[in-house]
Amino acid sequence: MVNGSLDYGKAEAEFMYLLNNEIDKFNAFFMEQEEDFVIRHKELPQRIQKVIDKWGPNGTQPSEMEYKEEMAKIRKEIVNFHGEMVLLMNYSNVNYTGLAKILKKYDKRTGGVLRLPVIQKVLEQPFFTTDLISKLVKECETTIESVFPPLRKKRNGGKMAVPGEGIFKNTVAALLTMQEIRRGSSTYSHFSLPPLNLPDFDVIQSLQVPSPIPIP
Amino acid sequence: MEAKPALSIQRSGAGQISNFGASAALSSSFPVLPTPLQETCPKFSDSQHVALNREFMQRPPAVVSPLSSNSGVVGHIFSSSSGFSTDLHFSSVQLQEKHPRQSPFISQSTSSGKSAVLPNSVDSRVLQSTASSQFNKENNDSWCTDTLPDFLDFPMSTTILNGQLDGSNSGGIAIPSEDLSKPNDWQDWADQLITDNDALATDWNGLLADASVADPEPKASYQISQQSTSVSTQQPHISQQLSVPGTPGEICTNGGQSSSANAAPGKQRMRWTPELHEAFVEAVNKLGGSERATPKGVLKLMKVEGLTIYHVKSHLQKYRTARYKPETTEGATRFNLFAINSMLFMFLDHFSSSFPVQTVKSMMVCSCVTSSASFNVRVKLLSFPLLQVIEFFFFSFVVFSVMESSEKKPASIDELSSLDLKTGIEITEALRLQMEVQKRLHEQLEIQRNLQLRIEEQGRYLQMMFEKQCKSGVDLLKGSSSASENPSKESTDDKVQNSSAKDNLVLDADKKETKGETAKTSGETSLLAAEKQKAVLENSEASVGGTSDLPPTKRAKVDE
Repeated sequence: MVNGSLDYGKAEAEFMYLLNNEIDKFNAFFMEQEEDFVIRHKELPQRIQKVIDKWGPNGTQPSEMEYKEEMAKIRKEIVNFHGEMVLLMNYSNVNYTGLAKILKKYDKRTGGVLRLPVIQKVLEQPFFTTDLISKLVKECETTIESVFPPLRKKRNGGKMAVPGEGIFKNTVAALLTMQEIRRGSSTYSHFSLPPLNLPDFDVIQSLQVPSPIPIP
Repeated sequence: MEAKPALSIQRSGAGQISNFGASAALSSSFPVLPTPLQETCPKFSDSQHVALNREFMQRPPAVVSPLSSNSGVVGHIFSSSSGFSTDLHFSSVQLQEKHPRQSPFISQSTSSGKSAVLPNSVDSRVLQSTASSQFNKENNDSWCTDTLPDFLDFPMSTTILNGQLDGSNSGGIAIPSEDLSKPNDWQDWADQLITDNDALATDWNGLLADASVADPEPKASYQISQQSTSVSTQQPHISQQLSVPGTPGEICTNGGQSSSANAAPGKQRMRWTPELHEAFVEAVNKLGGSERATPKGVLKLMKVEGLTIYHVKSHLQKYRTARYKPETTEGATRFNLFAINSMLFMFLDHFSSSFPVQTVKSMMVCSCVTSSASFNVRVKLLSFPLLQVIEFFFFSFVVFSVMESSEKKPASIDELSSLDLKTGIEITEALRLQMEVQKRLHEQLEIQRNLQLRIEEQGRYLQMMFEKQCKSGVDLLKGSSSASENPSKESTDDKVQNSSAKDNLVLDADKKETKGETAKTSGETSLLAAEKQKAVLENSEASVGGTSDLPPTKRAKVDE
């Protein structure tokens, strides 16, 4: 019996060790990115102001073409910046979900009681406390409103320009993945999230660009 | 080569010469190996061994053969250092005692013999709660014998350890070879570790300042900080748990590994808040701008507790990059490359009639090669850029075809400029779409996060209720309260399906009692109560989800 508990303790310690390594990785990456975002978040409005001051209508060197060009660049950048921050939040969420599932599985397989205390600790980890990022995202949204030209009511025919680059693709993939994860499963319990019903599901799915990497 | 490290160790050790002596003896005498191994068992309380181990750990595998037997010992000792770090987390009272001290990291070493990464303090707490002291003591006796079998695997373990180092840190193997050519670093680095230990009982902030001054080399310090992070991270973790996330200058302890290939991450990972960053910017501006400001100066000006020069250095580097090369930030890079490719395709279509096909093709290839070449150096696979290239071809083609499907005109500058204008509008529309999707994802993430938080709260509440019920259940029904969470959960699942959750608690308890499952009953009664709340919770969540989904659809309609 003693040996059995010894082995169990060892296995649990090993499991916790691996888990903590992963948590360390999450935290490191998350904080690295967060730092970057804090810096960029501060810099972007300054850049916008600089462009307006230099090439704007009342600027030192008013030039409509330059102004338009620079504003276009800034718009792309700011939208991508917003996208990156949202994807970081997604990163945090997906990893949390993963950890929760792993712990649940561990408890199921080994009859352990790790889930509750460990997940409480995880909730306090830096990578899950995304309040700052959320705040930055909201502030970014307001900045975007100011940078974009006023909304045009009509769209050209049925054509829809699709931004196909990395961040957009990842965003679409993230939304669809979230829906997939939250589908009802065999292990659905009162600890599971309710199913996600995106109203524009088919639209979003159509935006999903097929992957060039063949998945067998 | 072997003599050098031994010498440097002896030079640097002040009060720990005896242990260094033992270690030096280790390095010089191979046949004596099994006995030093036994000797080192009780000496693990000493961080100098940790220092020695880390030295050996950094040696590249090529040099392993003469040191092979040592590194085997070292490899094992190193793994125990991982336990050593959890040790520090336990109160300083425990540091005085040897037995309990060894025991936690015994379980660590046996479980993590192969990894170079040091554990988090979360781990140590769980260990405290889960691993019984009995288990530890028993293991203690068997530990020394356990080391021998591991020791036999030593050539494997070192390579694995090095491999782990590489796997977990980019460029891990490259650094040790550099270290060989800089023996001076060893001394600094050993000094640094000594100061670490001295400062254990004293002020941690002082320690960090000292350590940062002692080590000038960023790369060496990168490696050191990786491996010695846990030594310094455990203590501040206590304060971290208490600190409010909003305060500027919060030090986070989970800096065991830095996945960045950039400059030294420092002993701990700093959580840069906007307030802290503002203070940083102020200091930089006072010193004359980001180009002229030095990390030391900024550090002095900022006067923030716990901020090291490493933090400032890396932050300054990022700041400079962000200011002067905004297009090198990741997202922008990819988008710019995409834009380049899409523009290229547009030009190709217009000029293909006038230019020979070969030129066109070579232009395409050139642009794609340059775009793939400018990718982040962190990308290791050669095939990865190629896939990205393919991706860009595809995406740019898609956008191009979408934008150009209606008209094709002969090339002329006027046409191009109007095309640019049209492209500009299309791009803006595309950006708006991107924003919508991003906002949607953001909303969903917020909702999901709140749900998760509430679910965990519920879980805690359930647990509490269950424990209370168990206690009262034992008293009243004299049944064993051995029902763990799992059977309770399963019974709850059944309940969910039967949806009889709204019944009177007492009635259900009576019903169940007749079945004779006393322990389960006590669990179920508590779960039923919580379940009601859960059902209410789910209803409210569904409505929240519903209402928040409505605004996006409304917005989408407005756009059109």
